[in-house]
Amino acid sequence: MEDAKRRRRELETKVLQKVGEVISTINDAKHVDQVICALHSLAAMLFPLDSSLLAGSIDRRYRDQVLCAGVPSPSERDDWWHAFYQGASFPTLARVLIHYVASNWLACFPLSARIHVYDAFFVSGPATEVIQAVVPGLQQNGSNENLDLNAICSNAERILVLCLLENEGVLQMAREFGGSCQPEDFTTERLNPIISRVAQLVASIPDKARLEATAALSSHLFFKQIATQLLAGAEERAIELCGRADALDRSVVNGTFLFVGETFSRICRRGSAVQSLRQMICDMMLLLFVESCLSPNIDCIVPDLFESKSGSQYWLKMVEAMKDPYAVERLSEQLLRQLATEHVSDVEAYWILWMLFHQNFKHQTSVRSMFVDKFLLWKVFPVCCLRWILQFAVFECPPTACLPTKGQNTKGILDMVQHLVGVWSKREFVQSASMELQAYSDVTAAVGLSLEKMSKEELEAAKDVMHSILQGVSCRLESPVHLIRRMASCVAFVFSKVVDPKNLLYLDDSCSGETIDWEFGLTTHEKGTPDALHSIEKAKDELKTSNTSVPDKEVHTVDDRIGKKMKGRNKKLSEYTMVDPDEIIDPASLNNEQISDEDDHDNASESSETLSDTSLQPYDLSDDDKDLKIKFSQLVDVVGALQKSDDPDGVERALDVTEKLVRASPDELWHVSGDLVRALVQVRCSDLTVEGEEESAEGKRQSALVALLVMCPFESLDALNKLLYSPNVDISQRILILDVMTDAAQELSEARSVKVKHQQRALISTTTETQPWFLPSGRGPPRAGPWKEISETGTILSWSYRYERELPSKPSQIKMGKSRRWSLRSAKMQENQMEWSKNKFPVYAAAFMLPAMQGYDKKRHGVDLLGGDFIVLGKLIYMLGVCIKCAAMHPEASALAPALLDMLSSREISHHVEAYVRRSVLFAAACILVALHPSYVASALVEGNPFISRGLEWIRTRSLQIAESDTDTECSTMAMTCLQLHAEMALQASRALESVDITFKEKSGGLPSSVLKGPIKIPFSSVEYQI
Amino acid sequence: MNKRRPPPDPVAVLRGHRASVMDVCFHPSKPLIFTGAADGELRIWDAVQHRTLSSSWAHSAAHGIICVATNPLIGENKIVSQGRDGTVKCWDIEDGGLSRMPSLTITTNSYHFCKLSLVKKPSTCLTQAGDSSYIDVSAKQLGSTTESKELVDNYDMEARETINAEILDFVNAEGPKYVVVAGEQSSEVEIWDLNTAERLARLPHSCDGSSFNYSSKARGMCMAVQAFLPLQSQGFLNILAGYEDGTMLWWDMRNPGVPLTSVKFHSEPVLSLTVDGPCTGGISGAADDKIVLFTLDHKMGSCLVKKEISLERPGIAGTSIRTDGKIAATAGWDHRVRIYNYRKGNALAILKYHTATCNAVSFSNDCKLMASSSEDTTVALWELYPPQSLT
Repeated sequence: MEDAKRRRRELETKVLQKVGEVISTINDAKHVDQVICALHSLAAMLFPLDSSLLAGSIDRRYRDQVLCAGVPSPSERDDWWHAFYQGASFPTLARVLIHYVASNWLACFPLSARIHVYDAFFVSGPATEVIQAVVPGLQQNGSNENLDLNAICSNAERILVLCLLENEGVLQMAREFGGSCQPEDFTTERLNPIISRVAQLVASIPDKARLEATAALSSHLFFKQIATQLLAGAEERAIELCGRADALDRSVVNGTFLFVGETFSRICRRGSAVQSLRQMICDMMLLLFVESCLSPNIDCIVPDLFESKSGSQYWLKMVEAMKDPYAVERLSEQLLRQLATEHVSDVEAYWILWMLFHQNFKHQTSVRSMFVDKFLLWKVFPVCCLRWILQFAVFECPPTACLPTKGQNTKGILDMVQHLVGVWSKREFVQSASMELQAYSDVTAAVGLSLEKMSKEELEAAKDVMHSILQGVSCRLESPVHLIRRMASCVAFVFSKVVDPKNLLYLDDSCSGETIDWEFGLTTHEKGTPDALHSIEKAKDELKTSNTSVPDKEVHTVDDRIGKKMKGRNKKLSEYTMVDPDEIIDPASLNNEQISDEDDHDNASESSETLSDTSLQPYDLSDDDKDLKIKFSQLVDVVGALQKSDDPDGVERALDVTEKLVRASPDELWHVSGDLVRALVQVRCSDLTVEGEEESAEGKRQSALVALLVMCPFESLDALNKLLYSPNVDISQRILILDVMTDAAQELSEARSVKVKHQQRALISTTTETQPWFLPSGRGPPRAGPWKEISETGTILSWSYRYERELPSKPSQIKMGKSRRWSLRSAKMQENQMEWSKNKFPVYAAAFMLPAMQGYDKKRHGVDLLGGDFIVLGKLIYMLGVCIKCAAMHPEASALAPALLDMLSSREISHHVEAYVRRSVLFAAACILVALHPSYVASALVEGNPFISRGLEWIRTRSLQIAESDTDTECSTMAMTCLQLHAEMALQASRALESVDITFKEKSGGLPSSVLKGPIKIPFSSVEYQI
Repeated sequence: MNKRRPPPDPVAVLRGHRASVMDVCFHPSKPLIFTGAADGELRIWDAVQHRTLSSSWAHSAAHGIICVATNPLIGENKIVSQGRDGTVKCWDIEDGGLSRMPSLTITTNSYHFCKLSLVKKPSTCLTQAGDSSYIDVSAKQLGSTTESKELVDNYDMEARETINAEILDFVNAEGPKYVVVAGEQSSEVEIWDLNTAERLARLPHSCDGSSFNYSSKARGMCMAVQAFLPLQSQGFLNILAGYEDGTMLWWDMRNPGVPLTSVKFHSEPVLSLTVDGPCTGGISGAADDKIVLFTLDHKMGSCLVKKEISLERPGIAGTSIRTDGKIAATAGWDHRVRIYNYRKGNALAILKYHTATCNAVSFSNDCKLMASSSEDTTVALWELYPPQSLT
């Protein structure tokens, strides 16, 4: 032993000396052949090298030297090899080769020489050493100027491709670590750092490679190849270990698996690389699964089956060997997604998950929490993945089994469900979780799916589940987002199904089916086809495949039927009315024999009368009751009808006509507007109208209110503002009021009025015409008759002459009937009219905004804007924003902006917990920025109006805050827009300020610096505007 | 046949009334239309020129007219008007208008909604020229109190145009002149003689002392009556009366104590009853949502439903059957006039013109015209399925 060590040390020094010689020869070399000769002399000692192969390509002087080099015996060579690679010799030589030779000589090497005396050192060496030596060469930060960095790098890349990819270096590494060529003193403690270093190096290669490197080194292809080799290595190793006694000894983790696991973790850490892996892994898993499941009865797959499979073992080990929890998470997430895209069945997916993770899941809490907490609560997965996760991590049984573990496992399930529901039901979760998470509804779906699996007894056994569910449902139902409301109703539906299957709770029309689409139609169809369409198409396909012999026409009719069905009850109703009930024959009359006899008799005797009977062709029997309805023509009647809630028809008809009547702006409008507003707000459309027609009734009601607000703003606003904070209206009515005010503000701001353009006429006519001056001028349309004097009727004394003439009718005039109108309107009038728009809103802006801003923070009976009624608050702020925008660039906007800014910047509004409110705040802020006239901003700064400058500064800082740290993505994008608008406004204002500056200087020759109270920051120019 | 013809519009509209037009009827032979309005005005219209010929206040404005009626049996130039002032007045039609004073005034003291009925005599159907087998209207024996009159007319179907006039002329001379009306006791039906203005009978015949104690009160008011002379009754008057609870009673005057039959087709008050030309069937309209076509079999004393037509919107104020028995019309509360094939009972047309409740419909005797009167103060004239020979 001692002797062997000594001998080895001696050998190593010998090798080192030889290497030193070679290096010095290389350094001193004047010709490329000298370098080749030197390298050859060393290579001949290490590798079985056929010198004649490279002899032809070098100069004659050196050929002899090469050919007559001594060839050592194979055993000697082996010793040399070991000494060379395990000692310090190889790294030393490699550095020279990689840096010096590559940059200075390699380009001149003949090909054969390059292969045999240069590449051989890398290709024939152990991959672990090679990679450690070569990879540093990829980095170009060498300080030595006389080295050609580019050549070095490209050479290193070439060598890496050669070693790792073409020679399967990674597989070799895996083998090396596995111990097939493992020296005795390679203990695990020494092994681990090396493994991690090598794995690190391997994984870093694509990053270190230059951009122009070969495609094989791009992360996608490279990792794919590496992974193939790694998996092959692991499998090989697993098969090898299978027969051995310590194969199942968990404490000893084989080096191969350590290396493979480590490399995989490293790769997983590298961003998108995982994507390229998942496909392959997934394919392999599936293949494996199919292999395992060749047994005829798939239902009774038992874990033992997989245990016994040697192939599955290495997966298990590999996952075990992956120490990095983040990498495990990434890998498993990608795997799940891949499985989902491949549409594997539940059973397959379960067993794949089981194969990979069942050991770790049992033993490692981190893996357990990854599944149970991270995946269920924080990640966004397709629903099928979710189902698998639930099946695997919560129920812990294959999907085919129906919860066999009633005993100890139910406890775990209940705890889990309780945990899930607890998180789900928190109001904070609804408020703060990102929209994607909410929208893709992982948690909701998880709750729903797990609820579906539970029984009533289990539910009752769990302490807070029921309570939490109800709480979660109720706080979701308040959400402004439709999707979230729908989730709530779905969960409620499932819950009711569990609690009482006979009495299902339908909160929503859409979830009337037996099975619930937990994806809520969001993610199922990549192309974005709506559910309905999809189902139609599916039905069509089914039809076509099932009976292809059916003529197209029939298919079409079925299509039509489906289409009709989709259109809903509304359509159905109208179809029913099309059928005239008069045509329905009483079946009782058919029973009456006597009469039917008589009929027969009649028909017989009347055969001669058929002629006359054919004359009794029925007319069109369609009938509607439009004309039967009483038409309202007075606003007072409308108000009366609206107040009668017991006459739905009347209310509906009143709603129909209200808008038109209001737009006609009758005289009494000013007197009834208050009553009408109240009646319209109070009327309950949904109760009154037929199902399916609520929308139109609501629409009419809204447009009627808008019309009212537009036609007589002050009176209506008075009534509306009183109603807005009155305890007698509910949230929907408050929202209606705010919506209506928003619409009215917009309409007022876009008001159009028609103005008649006055035709320019010469005031003094030149009398160039030949006719006497007292005659009217001869101008006029062509074909006009001559002027004739007519005698004055009545008095004898006449003070004036009267003339008349006949005019031809204008072409655009059409004489119809015996109209007694004196002047027919011609189309020409249109030309004289000029349409011009004028913003009528600013006059009313204060009336719109100030009363609404007064009471928002008061909490009284039924009104709590800052708390529960946050939607109303959001709408209110939105309305105010729209109002200020409608008054943009008018002085009113400047007058109202400080008040609005004051309201927005109050803490309870600007930091409201609901993203909805925050969004409206940002919107309103943006509106203010748009609405303020730059000159006003400038003058506010000059005159030192602290409200404006403070408010604008607040907008900026708050937007910055939100853009940086808001959970809601929409909020942050809006904040970005806000910042942009602020910058624009600041720029405009600074320009205005400059012009003001000039005028000031002209006047007073300087501006007192104390005038400026608030600086405007102009972000993009990074110049703070300070005077 | 894909697209049916749209329903026709009225050929003419008679305007001029200042109140709801309660009833309309045609002169038996001349182109005259009589209308009575709720303000008591009785107008005579020229059916050709569509102009008012005369206007007179037949009843007081406060009460108004509820019915005007003509009938060949009471004379060609006579018209009966019924007001809600408790009177029935018989007027002579003079040149260009009504007589100044009614020729007869019956004070019935009944203040209700039931329109009076003149006696309908079975006329033969106005059949087509080829069918001449049915030529018989036998002698009619009317009620026992008056002198019986044998009326026999044989006429040829081919000369239909003139026959009407002949019958009318013939009848014009003399005939049973009764008017049947709901009585002072609104559950009773009274029969008055138009010549003498005397009450002849009351139905049910309570003073008869018969053992049959018919609970007439339970049926409520009499809402519609129709008097007719079926062929088999040997000239005895038959009366069909509809009551408030929807029942219909059929009386034969030979046995005024007990009705021939009692049926209940409707669930609401019967508002209108019409018997067809040969008196073997009829049509009834009520306040409920159906129209019933029924058959009358005098021998069996049975009244059977031939066809029940259900309506979208309830309320039939008036019914009429054209003299040729081909089509029937109803005046609906829903502003519609509906036309049915009387034989088969299928709907033929829904006529929309009126903008208020329709009160009455009436066919002219020559089958060419139909008039509908409505609360919207108009009378609309329609030409529907004119007889074949005219086209």
